Amino acid sequence: MSTLDATGEAARRPFPGRRARTGDVLLQGVAGLAALGAVVLLGLLAYKIVDGARLSLSTFGLGFLVHVGWDPVHSHFGAGGFLFGTAVTSIGALILATPLALGIALFLTELAPRWIRGPVTALVETLAAIPSVVIGLWGILVLGPVLHDHVMPALHSTLGFIPLFGPSTTGSTIFTAILVLTIMILPIVSSISRELFLGVPPELKEAALGLGTTRWEMVRGVVLPHTRGGVAAAMILGLGRAVGEAIAVAQVIGAFNNGISWNLFSSGNTLAAQIALEYQSAETKLDVSSLFYLGLILLVFSLVVNLLARMVVRRVARRQGVPAR
Amino acid sequence: MSAADVSALQRPNDRLRRRRAVNRGMELLAWLASALGVAILGVVVWSVAKRGASELNLDLLTKVPVPFAIGNVKQGLANAFVGSLVVVGLATAMAVPFGILVAIYVNEFAPRAIRNGVGLVLDVLNGVPAIVVGIFVFGLVVVSHGQSAYAGAFALAVLMLPLVARATIEVLALVPSTLREASLGLGVTRWRTTLGIVLPQTVGGIVTGTMLAVARVSGETAPLLFTCSLAGTSIDSNPGHALQTVPVAIFELSESADPADHARAWAAALVLLLFILFSSLTARWLAARSRRKLGRAT
Amino acid sequence: MPRTGKLVRITLALAAAGLVAALAVTSAGAAGKRSTGTLKGAGSTLIAPALAVWQPMYGRDSLQYSAIGSGGGIQAISQRTVDFGASDAPMTKSQGEGCNGCVQIPWALTATSPVVNIPGVGAHQLKLTGTVLANIYLGTITKWNDPAIKALNKGLKLPNLSITPVHRSDGSGDTYVFTNYLSKVSKPWKTKVGNATTVSWPTGIGGKGNAGVAAAVSANSGSIGYVSIFYVIQNHLNLARLKNASGNYELPTIASIEASAQLVNSGRIPANNKISITNPPKSKKYANAYPLATFTYVIVPKTSPKAGELKAFITWALGSKAQASIKKYVFAPMPGSVVKAGKKTLATLHS
Repeated sequence: MSTLDATGEAARRPFPGRRARTGDVLLQGVAGLAALGAVVLLGLLAYKIVDGARLSLSTFGLGFLVHVGWDPVHSHFGAGGFLFGTAVTSIGALILATPLALGIALFLTELAPRWIRGPVTALVETLAAIPSVVIGLWGILVLGPVLHDHVMPALHSTLGFIPLFGPSTTGSTIFTAILVLTIMILPIVSSISRELFLGVPPELKEAALGLGTTRWEMVRGVVLPHTRGGVAAAMILGLGRAVGEAIAVAQVIGAFNNGISWNLFSSGNTLAAQIALEYQSAETKLDVSSLFYLGLILLVFSLVVNLLARMVVRRVARRQGVPAR
Repeated sequence: MSAADVSALQRPNDRLRRRRAVNRGMELLAWLASALGVAILGVVVWSVAKRGASELNLDLLTKVPVPFAIGNVKQGLANAFVGSLVVVGLATAMAVPFGILVAIYVNEFAPRAIRNGVGLVLDVLNGVPAIVVGIFVFGLVVVSHGQSAYAGAFALAVLMLPLVARATIEVLALVPSTLREASLGLGVTRWRTTLGIVLPQTVGGIVTGTMLAVARVSGETAPLLFTCSLAGTSIDSNPGHALQTVPVAIFELSESADPADHARAWAAALVLLLFILFSSLTARWLAARSRRKLGRAT
Repeated sequence: MPRTGKLVRITLALAAAGLVAALAVTSAGAAGKRSTGTLKGAGSTLIAPALAVWQPMYGRDSLQYSAIGSGGGIQAISQRTVDFGASDAPMTKSQGEGCNGCVQIPWALTATSPVVNIPGVGAHQLKLTGTVLANIYLGTITKWNDPAIKALNKGLKLPNLSITPVHRSDGSGDTYVFTNYLSKVSKPWKTKVGNATTVSWPTGIGGKGNAGVAAAVSANSGSIGYVSIFYVIQNHLNLARLKNASGNYELPTIASIEASAQLVNSGRIPANNKISITNPPKSKKYANAYPLATFTYVIVPKTSPKAGELKAFITWALGSKAQASIKKYVFAPMPGSVVKAGKKTLATLHS
């Protein structure tokens, strides 16, 4: 605390009679323009996407969202199949990634001997750094063949009575895409969870242990409830990442547009992957506009995800009395 | 209490045994989950490292691609590496000054409402999927002016802006207000205070944020697909042309049937990964250092 | 000014140096290292190997080509993102209008062909008809030991294996040729799916480009795909014999493709050069014709600042030297009437 505090507040206001220097006005103006520019950029982006989708919106309306099939010959376009594919792959990836991510986070904060923590954390960070095109490359050349030759036939022969594990004919399937997406969102959810677990006040944990709880009961009773909101936000962010992923999914999912199948071992397609695959070759104006419509759906979804995650974080921060960022 | 009662309390009863068993079971599950998670991560990293390393040679960086070559023609991806350098360099040149200015406005001048508003805008921009940014820039720039490295760089800059701006905002906020007040109290103008006193304190954080943003966009393929992908095979650095870039090259090679193409894809993937790792690690190390220094300064 | 840490300053200097280097390289390039004479093209993956042969012959820096599929080629030239587009599919009426004053010129002749990956079936052993092919891609025939296939291949041991039909996931001239043929031989196909560069495939998986389909067929046992001949050769794929209207099971060779191309001489070549030579009718002339042969087109704007360079290039490509250089990849010599029609269209280009 400095003795200048009293003058600090006054320093922000110009002295009476102190003329506004041109330099000050210039800096504020230019910086303000930049901030305005950022807002304009977002507005322009939203406008361009909506504008691009206008033709398809007026032709198909909301029915686009439930129509399954992409037929450029008869000009019947619909997002239904892709919405299904996006939902199955993203939710599937979230279901697989969350327990693994929480397990890793708990392991790193509670269970691991000190010497393991560094290398494992480094490994998780490394995976987060791998670009999606490289994971897609790995998916095509390594994961796909392994799944096709060994894993999927084995699962089909043992669990084939469940419609999820139907017959497989290729390595480019929904299941491959789910695994690829799991690998991509695992680092995000894991890192955020780890930081949240580290942020639990040690006094609370020690108090619980001191009362005689086992370590699991302490985790269940103190750590998890304390970080519940943050973990939920991390999962939401992971879901957002999975939904928006175009490249890696396009490489491994087999690009099948014509139906909905619960068989995870069959090919499919997602909103983002379809844009990546079709965009260069869309020939009619309606085709291009329908792809923009898919982009609009993605944009709206990413907005919802973002706002939802912020809301969750804010509610958690309020409850814990921590100033929200 | 009698001695018998106390010893009864100390004897492990059924309920305690059950709780301990549950605890052991849960710890085992955590070990298994993390072992599985770590194994998956390890397999991917090891796969890329092994295949990439075995195919890595100097030709990759010095020779250009020869499509449909029959026989053992020496080729590489030199055009992609040069193109990536140009596109990412341009994107950085676009995003960094813009991001710094936005951060200066938000942190030094903006009233609370605007600060929250711009912060929200930056967060939303950060969450827009890269493919949507790609078709946005396509509709905005490519339809009228064709593909170019400028268009690709602009798309990448849109992705970088929120990262650079956020990092700069955070590090500007860390500069103690006493520093500003002292300067203003001595009669230094607002703009000179901001640019000459406050900003230099934040250089480390800005460099960190920029390097992290560069690491993030160096591997992005989707925004470049429609803005900067119809490129030639010779080494070209003219940003008015569409230039080949490393991620797009890997994407195209991954769809090929030729094992030689796959080999080059793995090698390029390894180089890309090493670059990204190097940038991220350097950035984090710098961040840790400047955080320590600022902590000492207050 | 306060002192920033030494290490931070060094890193800052390095980063600035890197940025300056990038920008220096960029501006050196921006000074126009490459002459504006380079012709940029994009489109068909079928013609891509021919362009790869032509590039060093015509002058390495004078040609640049991106193989993104015929649909992409039409889109690119419509938006004038490139100087010429390449497509195996002739433009539809609306595409022609969208291209705003473009012409199409046939500049090579080859075929797309069905390839299979069936354990126990050797090269060129499998025989197929158009109807069976249509039913496979419609999803009504699902196993390789289906009676319809067995009837055509007596003596061949076909396994009880599911069929995976592979199609093009991008806008493809090969798809256009393939669906053109299927629409001619199968009424259900014509009504249900139709003929275009991108269709709504009832079943199967997609691969990007000829290379993607070749990769998918190689990787998936029991799969079938349609691939242009260069890629069949390059990837050692197993060609299936296709029955033509005269009843013979043919493979795509220079001879069988040239026989199909004779179809153009039975009528007039339309002004827009839109020619279809799939499924030649039953006749002695077409006894050994290959049913899936096709011309492939270069699409250029009638009015273009590069009209002179385009005319020079395409005239050269239509010439005997260029055509002979790609014969090894099973690009057959074009009938004289087609070359003449192409040159006539080419003469209408102006800047």
